[in-house]
Amino acid sequence: MQPIGVAQALVSTRAEYEHLFSIYVPIAVGVFLLIVVIVVVAVFAFRRRPPERAARWHENNPVEATYAVVLGCVAAFLLYLTFTTEHKVDTVANRTRPAVVVDVVASKWEWTFNYPAYGFSERSGTVGRQPLVVPAGEAVRFNLNSVDVIHSFWIPALRYKHDAIPGSTQLITLTFSRGVFPGQCAEFCGLRHSDMIFTAYAVTPTEFAAWAKSKGRGPTP
Amino acid sequence: MRGGAIPILAWGTILLLLAIGNWVWNGRLVGGLAASGAVAIIYLFGLAVWLARREAIRRGPPEPREDPETIPQTSLAAVGIGVSAGCALFGLAWAKFLLDFGIALFIVSVGRMALEFRAERASRRQVLAEEKHE
Amino acid sequence: MTGWFGAVTSTDHKRMGLTLGVCSLFFFLLGGVFALLMRTQLAQSNMQFVSDNSYNELFTMHGSTMIYLFVTPMAIALGLYLVPLQIGATRVSAPRLCLIGLWTWLCGGLVMQQGWFASGGAGRTGWSSIAPLSNGTNTPGVGQDLWVIGVILAACGILLMAACLVTTIARRRAPGMSLLRMPVFTWTELVSVLMVVGSFPMLILAMVLLYIDRHGGHIFTGFTGAIDYQDLFWFFGHPVVYVMFFPYLGSAAEAIAVSSHKRWFGYIAFVASMMMFAALSMAVWSHHMYVTGGVTNQYFAFTSTLLLVPAGIEYFDVVGTLIGGSIVLRTSMLFALTFFIQFLIGGLSGIFVASPVLDYQAYGTYIVVAHFHYTLFAGSIFGFFAGVYHWFPKITGAFLRERLGKLQLLLMVVGTNLTFFPMFFLGNDGMPRRVSRYPTHPGWGTLNELETIGAGIIALGVLTFLINVFVSLRRRVPAGDDPWLGHTLEWATTSPPPPLNFEAPLPPIRSYAPLLDLREQEIDRARERAEVTAD
Repeated sequence: MQPIGVAQALVSTRAEYEHLFSIYVPIAVGVFLLIVVIVVVAVFAFRRRPPERAARWHENNPVEATYAVVLGCVAAFLLYLTFTTEHKVDTVANRTRPAVVVDVVASKWEWTFNYPAYGFSERSGTVGRQPLVVPAGEAVRFNLNSVDVIHSFWIPALRYKHDAIPGSTQLITLTFSRGVFPGQCAEFCGLRHSDMIFTAYAVTPTEFAAWAKSKGRGPTP
Repeated sequence: MRGGAIPILAWGTILLLLAIGNWVWNGRLVGGLAASGAVAIIYLFGLAVWLARREAIRRGPPEPREDPETIPQTSLAAVGIGVSAGCALFGLAWAKFLLDFGIALFIVSVGRMALEFRAERASRRQVLAEEKHE
Repeated sequence: MTGWFGAVTSTDHKRMGLTLGVCSLFFFLLGGVFALLMRTQLAQSNMQFVSDNSYNELFTMHGSTMIYLFVTPMAIALGLYLVPLQIGATRVSAPRLCLIGLWTWLCGGLVMQQGWFASGGAGRTGWSSIAPLSNGTNTPGVGQDLWVIGVILAACGILLMAACLVTTIARRRAPGMSLLRMPVFTWTELVSVLMVVGSFPMLILAMVLLYIDRHGGHIFTGFTGAIDYQDLFWFFGHPVVYVMFFPYLGSAAEAIAVSSHKRWFGYIAFVASMMMFAALSMAVWSHHMYVTGGVTNQYFAFTSTLLLVPAGIEYFDVVGTLIGGSIVLRTSMLFALTFFIQFLIGGLSGIFVASPVLDYQAYGTYIVVAHFHYTLFAGSIFGFFAGVYHWFPKITGAFLRERLGKLQLLLMVVGTNLTFFPMFFLGNDGMPRRVSRYPTHPGWGTLNELETIGAGIIALGVLTFLINVFVSLRRRVPAGDDPWLGHTLEWATTSPPPPLNFEAPLPPIRSYAPLLDLREQEIDRARERAEVTAD
């Protein structure tokens, strides 16, 4: 339960990704098109010259130095964006008080989801027959562990993944919108890596509470 | 020859700056050691090039070389060393007799390499002696 | 010395370069077959053309073969053949050491492939062989051991040959060839072999420790051990991709300059940016580890994003070379231009994944697969073919057929983009990498099928190349010493060059394009004479 009056900004990993994406990709596309146009135009413009008339100039260090500074500014801009979003996704999100804590244990080749506050666990089974159920619109803390090799906990729709490494507990905090979200291991972990799938069901907090209190034995919402 | 050590040492210096950045900002032991190790290797290489000829640190275009150049045509010893290393390590995982054979071949090849170097030095001395007589 | 014995034991840099190059090409074809088998498996979701275990072996051996046994050694091979010629030397330094390296590398390649015949199969933990998956508990068996040993041998071989090239460039430049008069290609080779010397020892250390780990040593255990392995491996694993890029950039640059009849633009800026690019590449490695939580992501985001500065300088120089030139669209030029355009997609997607938040989605997915195939295949390999078409006449004395070359280019452009572009979308939509099967998500089947078709088209392109080589050597069209009006010293000798490289005295070396200097002087003199007679 959150104390009344404390506003907690929930970090949406998807929104942060889409925000960066919406700046990085157009810049990339723009640069690409610019270079292609320049190269194609140059090639067509200079095809007819005889070799003896080829220009002799071959450097312009002041212009290039200026260009390098411009590139440095672009890098600085991208870094500013990157650092601020990364801070939100990695630091701020983990400072948020979570509504639910799920201990995730990765093993070859399935996921086990423990709900310590409710005292039960769910095994996804290989090919993810049993779902991961979480409340939507609230901060969900995942403590990622592994019993054997490195696995990676990935929910594509949330645009986020993090490794589960044996000998460590990795903390991440995610916020879901309502819906059904496929998840998959994203670090090669051996023979049945392709099958290490799970599905996340993000339901209303009330539905989640009801399901969790029944220790998962109630119908999956 | 002249200036040959310069790019090596210059590059090593840029690596040094980046290694310092890595230690300060990232601070992982293994990563830091790897970065420092690379700096050390590059500096040692540059140092070796410099020590072989003092002018390797001087700027400017190389001067014409005075001394006769020896140019080896073939080296069976080199093939032997390479193949024996492969054989030995293969044998380490696969079969002990290959490991033994590889080690033996390695020793023989190193011996032959010494002979090849001796022959090269002898022919070089001979050429120098002939030049003196002319 | 003639005959096969002479070829095998020769310490002539041209022979060694050719042997290394031809062997690398065989491994390219082998790695390509692995790729075709993988793409066949992936053509439809939930196909079982090969078993899951076989698929894991295939992608491991595809990556390992391409990286350790083709693209990297081929970069060294080009250097071994061309650098002494470009710097006016008669041989490489330490040729015996170089030959040791060549044979050690070749044994490494053969030992690695031997794993296919081992029970349990060949290496199968990915080319990066991440611990603890690759340790003795999780992946036991001789095949994986042979993979580790193969990598150790191949890496030692490459390291020796690289050390040889650094020394050659340092010590055997012809009189007059100061550092800032070395050709562009030679500079790209110098920074590449410096990266090899600086980073390959960490690979060898990582692999030796992995081998010990696999046989009872408890080296890469726990969280720290897992991160340590990746720290060591990726310390090598990032620079190596630049080793697999710069020499081909250099090849494309030479092809573009010569085919524009204009010396490469911005030489000083280029040299400075190459040194920075190579040094930075040794400082970015943990961007492969953003999702582990074990490193300071921000530091590596900083260094990785900075890479766009030297990369941008390169592109400025390409444009500066083309503008004002006299452009000939021969096959080598077309491959070089395509290299620059396609590599850009790889490079820009690299800046994308340099950002941790974007990488949290992209890592371990087909986005990354698309990124590195655009840089390494759509990029480097097209640069490689630019170099092949540019230097084949020098090496063999005969031209490669232009028509077949352009057909090869067309097939490869279509095939490459059809195979790798859809991967960006598949990855963002949720398809992880290193999976032998994938679920039936909407669109995934179609895109994968298109990619498989693309792979087939690439294969046709490569086949066209092989036919071109065969035909061109069978019915030779003699090329002469300098068919393209080259700029650098390799064009000042016969094709192929004689054993000691230069029979006639070298032309005066006053810049990084000595032959172009001479030609420009000739043009100026002819113009003056014409003016005099006109008066």
